[in-house]
Amino acid sequence: MSHHVTFKDLPEGGEKFDPAKGSKLIGAFAVIGGLGLVGSIYGFVAHADVFSYSWLFAIFFAFTVMVGSCFWILLHNASNSSWGVVIRRLFENLANMVPVLAILALPLLLPSVQSHLYEWMNHHREAAHHAQEAGISVKEALHHMAEENQHLHVLVEKFGYLNITKHFVPPFSWQTRFLLYFFVLWYIARHMRGLSLRQEQDGDIRHTIAARNSSCRWLFPFALTATFASVDWLMSLDYTWFSTMWGVYIFAGSAWASMAIMIMLVAWLRSLGYLQKVVSEEHYHLMGKLLFAFTVFWAYIAFSQYFLIWYANITEETRFYLIRNTAGWRWVSIFIVVGHFIGPFILLLSQPRKKNPVVMVTVCLWIIFMHVVDMYWNVIPERGPSLGLGVLAPGAIWGDIFALMAVVGTMGFLFLRKLGGNSLYPWRDPRLLESVNVVN
Amino acid sequence: MSTTLKRVHGYLAEFDSVKELYHAAEKVNEAGYNRWDVHSPFPIHGMDHAMGVKRSKLPWLVFFGGAAGTTTAFLLQYITQVKLYPTIVQAKPATIFSLPAWFPVMFELTILFSAFTTLFGLLALIGLPRLNHPLFASKRFPKFSDDGFFVCIEARDPKFSQVGTKSFLEEIGGKNIELVEDEI
Repeated sequence: MSHHVTFKDLPEGGEKFDPAKGSKLIGAFAVIGGLGLVGSIYGFVAHADVFSYSWLFAIFFAFTVMVGSCFWILLHNASNSSWGVVIRRLFENLANMVPVLAILALPLLLPSVQSHLYEWMNHHREAAHHAQEAGISVKEALHHMAEENQHLHVLVEKFGYLNITKHFVPPFSWQTRFLLYFFVLWYIARHMRGLSLRQEQDGDIRHTIAARNSSCRWLFPFALTATFASVDWLMSLDYTWFSTMWGVYIFAGSAWASMAIMIMLVAWLRSLGYLQKVVSEEHYHLMGKLLFAFTVFWAYIAFSQYFLIWYANITEETRFYLIRNTAGWRWVSIFIVVGHFIGPFILLLSQPRKKNPVVMVTVCLWIIFMHVVDMYWNVIPERGPSLGLGVLAPGAIWGDIFALMAVVGTMGFLFLRKLGGNSLYPWRDPRLLESVNVVN
Repeated sequence: MSTTLKRVHGYLAEFDSVKELYHAAEKVNEAGYNRWDVHSPFPIHGMDHAMGVKRSKLPWLVFFGGAAGTTTAFLLQYITQVKLYPTIVQAKPATIFSLPAWFPVMFELTILFSAFTTLFGLLALIGLPRLNHPLFASKRFPKFSDDGFFVCIEARDPKFSQVGTKSFLEEIGGKNIELVEDEI
């Protein structure tokens, strides 16, 4: 209460980010993105089979950050919370990178890329070919194929969901859903920022109420998007495998990583002289608590998934963990347990550490790294066995690095370039002062 | 003629608002009193800071309580399922490598023991349950659960004095200052 801030202390019109001030980081992103894009084009041309996995990994990493950002906006509005008003705009801007991600993700729609990633699509394409020749439906053709190859029975059973032909019949084809996921996230991001920006024009509280209403409504399509995008893009890499925990697992990591990015972004903006009056150590503490909560939540979900599969010991289910718990991947698995859960858990326990920006930025850097490792561990172990290249496709890690550089660099560069377009915080939000003076 | 013995509990002073109570608490803390407390109908954000309350020891109790829970659960399962009565279920080894199967119990007992230490540790630290409190002798004090904001400086504080503390409370804006006496 001794540092009570009033409207007199805050500038009219909020604070606008000047890209020239952050030119170092923007330049770094540009260089990383440019190098990555060059390497990625080479990857797609020269090693399309191996590189498809790299690209999926990089795209999915960025996708989880978008999912997390949308989640925090929706949760914030739906729960009518006031503390996060000062950081909400940053999430809104981050979530609005969805169109860029959608463009970067387009290669995944190409059949030539899909043929390396999704074995089931190859069977479906073959079935579609047979179906055309014999004048029967694709599902029937798949059924005929299953008489020779018993494994394909699973695909016949899953045809209602897992297909690439029924574009307009719910639950739609893989491709339609692919577009739908981006549409949902894009709509959420655009709609929520739109309301927030319109409030800056007229200062009307109705925008706050409208945001609350539509957040409650959009949480449901959002949850479906996060769940089924992870089913479609990652789980179907192995069409025999399934886990009902999968969507929650991906969601937990998404919310975790995007909160870590937010803390780093806030700390970076403050180091450039922005947000000095509006963000205090209390906000770091609050964000740190959420980060801690999701550290535990992720571990809970990750262990539950492992535990049920390990205990039941059913062949179709154990394959996922078998390839990740043998050979070199075993060490990555153990590393994730320690680095993704135990380390952050202990580091984030103490309150003074959560209030210290230097400590938090260090922890958050580690958290982003661990989220990358987690995504890598989810996507890449499938590559060697699927392509017949052994456990670790030799040399392929360079492709993974370039793909990650391309996606993160491009999106980071465009995000920071566009960040100056509006105020860094919603300066006419009715709960602004409550948020600025928050004590917890 | 009353023969009841009485003991001075301390001075009770009333304040009009949260703001006044907050600033009064800051001043009492600055004056160096140790045995005192504030009473309000609802929690006041930042009051701990104004009162200069030190960090509670409770987290340490809870940490060791939780650790005891984890250990208990681990030993309970390790001793029975590996040492005393090893049983092979679903091809799982009856060794330390069955650890994942024990996690749920370890987790739950950690929570249970932590919760118990939190509750009972808290009660022990704040001195509850008790049958009565000297402040209930005051006629004005029941307002604390409605619209009263009070500061009470206890007589067992080394800095307490019958004249000095009263004038100090008047100085910081306390109203209806009352010497609360406890029947013994």
